[in-house]
Amino acid sequence: MRDRLTTSMRASHVLALIFVVAALCLAAFGAATGDTFYLRLGTEALIFAGLALSVDLLLGYSGALSLGQALYFGIGAYVSALTLMKVPSFWLAMGAAFLVTLAAAIIGGLIANRVRGVYFALITFGLAQVFAKVVYNTRELGASDGMIGVPVIQIGLGPFSVSAASPAGFFLVVLGIIMGLYALTAYLLDTPFGRVLTALKANEKRVPFLGYSVWRARMAAYVFAGLVAGLSGALYPMLRGFVSPELMFFATSGNAVISVILGGVGTLIGAIYGSVLLVILKSIIGSWTEHHLIVIGLLFMACVMFLPKGMVGFVRPRIERLLGREPAAPEPAPPSSATIKSGSAA
Amino acid sequence: MKARIRITAAVLLAAAALSQPALAQSGPIKIGVVTPLSGTYTPIGQQVRWGLELAAKEINAAGGIAGRQVNLLFEDEEANPAVAVQKAEKLFQVEKVDFLAGTVNSGSTLAVAQLAERNDKLAATTVSFADSITADKCSPNMFRVNARAEQQSVALAAWLEKEKPKSKVFYLGPDYEMGRSTVAAFKANAEKTGAQSTGEVFAPLDAKDYTQYFGQIRASRPQVVYTSVAGNDTVRLLTQLQDFGLLSNLTVVGASGTVTSQNIGAIGAAAEGFATGVGYSTQIDTPANKKFVETFRAATKADPDLYGADSYGLLFAYKAAVEKAGSTETAKVREALRGLSWQTPQGEKTIRAGDHQAMQPMYVVRVNKGKFDIIANVPADQAIGPDTCTRF
Repeated sequence: MRDRLTTSMRASHVLALIFVVAALCLAAFGAATGDTFYLRLGTEALIFAGLALSVDLLLGYSGALSLGQALYFGIGAYVSALTLMKVPSFWLAMGAAFLVTLAAAIIGGLIANRVRGVYFALITFGLAQVFAKVVYNTRELGASDGMIGVPVIQIGLGPFSVSAASPAGFFLVVLGIIMGLYALTAYLLDTPFGRVLTALKANEKRVPFLGYSVWRARMAAYVFAGLVAGLSGALYPMLRGFVSPELMFFATSGNAVISVILGGVGTLIGAIYGSVLLVILKSIIGSWTEHHLIVIGLLFMACVMFLPKGMVGFVRPRIERLLGREPAAPEPAPPSSATIKSGSAA
Repeated sequence: MKARIRITAAVLLAAAALSQPALAQSGPIKIGVVTPLSGTYTPIGQQVRWGLELAAKEINAAGGIAGRQVNLLFEDEEANPAVAVQKAEKLFQVEKVDFLAGTVNSGSTLAVAQLAERNDKLAATTVSFADSITADKCSPNMFRVNARAEQQSVALAAWLEKEKPKSKVFYLGPDYEMGRSTVAAFKANAEKTGAQSTGEVFAPLDAKDYTQYFGQIRASRPQVVYTSVAGNDTVRLLTQLQDFGLLSNLTVVGASGTVTSQNIGAIGAAAEGFATGVGYSTQIDTPANKKFVETFRAATKADPDLYGADSYGLLFAYKAAVEKAGSTETAKVREALRGLSWQTPQGEKTIRAGDHQAMQPMYVVRVNKGKFDIIANVPADQAIGPDTCTRF
């Protein structure tokens, strides 16, 4: 028997597949028509989708609302920018961003995971604001002006090389990385570790009685979410050629939370859909009226009132039902998840 | 009959499609404006918008730029470089604007300058005052027609030298990067003109009590106090100085954002005598400025400020450059803008070719009975400071 969590994750994967196909069509169409702006806007939406994914990992699984996830996004962006200005190497920048975000997320996790609930939200918010202010006032990091002059790099992928300036090429690279992060997160949540996280959200007090350390699971989720945000952030300066302290401000963290709620909390793919929708809406409505914040706010309220589980939360049960009909046949489920299921279902 | 109209229309459409490249040089000139239309900086963006719209209306009424009408396209900058760059790219790539203006946040201006370079388009700012934009981070595709921070402090120091030669100056700034750099800039200029520095302190932003620094100020016996605090901090600083009787025999000077129309009422009598260097005042006594203030008021029911005046002036520089170049091509317009002199409500401005910074006469204003009066002019060449741009 397949458990409910696996079925819903499968439904998310179907939506992820639809997303990738749509994105590939867009890339092909954009490349054919020689478009630059929309492909680069799409790339930016994907980068912010990575940040939203990390928020959903915390909010949707361990149940911790982080209001300062832009902290790690910004650290990734700054480290990547600083590295690229010294050595224009894609892999070096990603590696450096990975290591520094890892260290930062461990420190941040040690501080933030001492508390939970609303205090966790406030601590993460405070950490990000403090760090953003420090960067805002540090001349060596460009202070309030940020840093420009991040070179356009060549990304070496085995025998191929893609320029970050090529709209379609870089779009595909970012699509690959973000969907890779999605797949990794989804895989991790399907392991026993992921089930502990789900248990944490359901009833934190009972988890120790089952023999699991609450602190260790929360910490691991926090550090992993930090890394997802940091690696997404590392892509930003490659796209736009600069970093600024605004990337760490609350507006960035807040947009990520809005994306997750629009898309559907705890669905992972919803974070990606939500983020893309938000970036596109902001771009279109922003050109149309200067009261775009009101429009976005109303949409957000309508979503919370009428689609409390978000867009994906609305669509997914239907897909689950479709998927649920299939496995009446003898179950040839992938072996990797089969072992896990027998463990957690016991 | 109907069929004939349809055929004619089809032929016309086909002709229009074929002559597209030619049309690009004869249709309206599109100017993109990325400026804050929402959030904290909305009042600045509003002035930028009013200034540009007024200039566009006047230019269009007088026949446009080289016979082409001017079309302004606005986008909200949200005072956030990440947003500004995205919006600017939309204007460059989708709307194919010929020129871009409006950025307020200095970080936005720098990032948009880089974007303009990568898109081979020109851009200008009428508000950002960070020196770096036309100094160490200058860009061949960015122009600045407003006075930068350096010009304000050079003008103020030049006036101080005349008014109180070799005076002893004490500096009090807010403790953050911008506060420290404005104090450092003024200190360097004041010392160059012979002033003597007696000490400096930095108070935290939003400090409630400035009296703890008064002992230090009194002990160093300054004739002049320079401050770059802003908003409600100025209210507290100046009223506390007055309560402690320190304002007698003391000249208080400061940054242009220290005492503004927003906080002057709350400061009250303690603001009397405060002097600062500015690039524009509605009181500038020239026919050009009087006419500008009058039409601006008629169009918007508000007074123009620095940002409105600088933005208004920008379009006339662009008009002069395009007409001189005979085209809107980037390279040609850039050459035409370099060294260009044109008339603005603030007097004649000249774009310095070496760093794309406009030189303009600066004014020293002082609070007199709750209002700013112009008390001195500093000629453009004395207020400009050295050209430190090395990229072109």
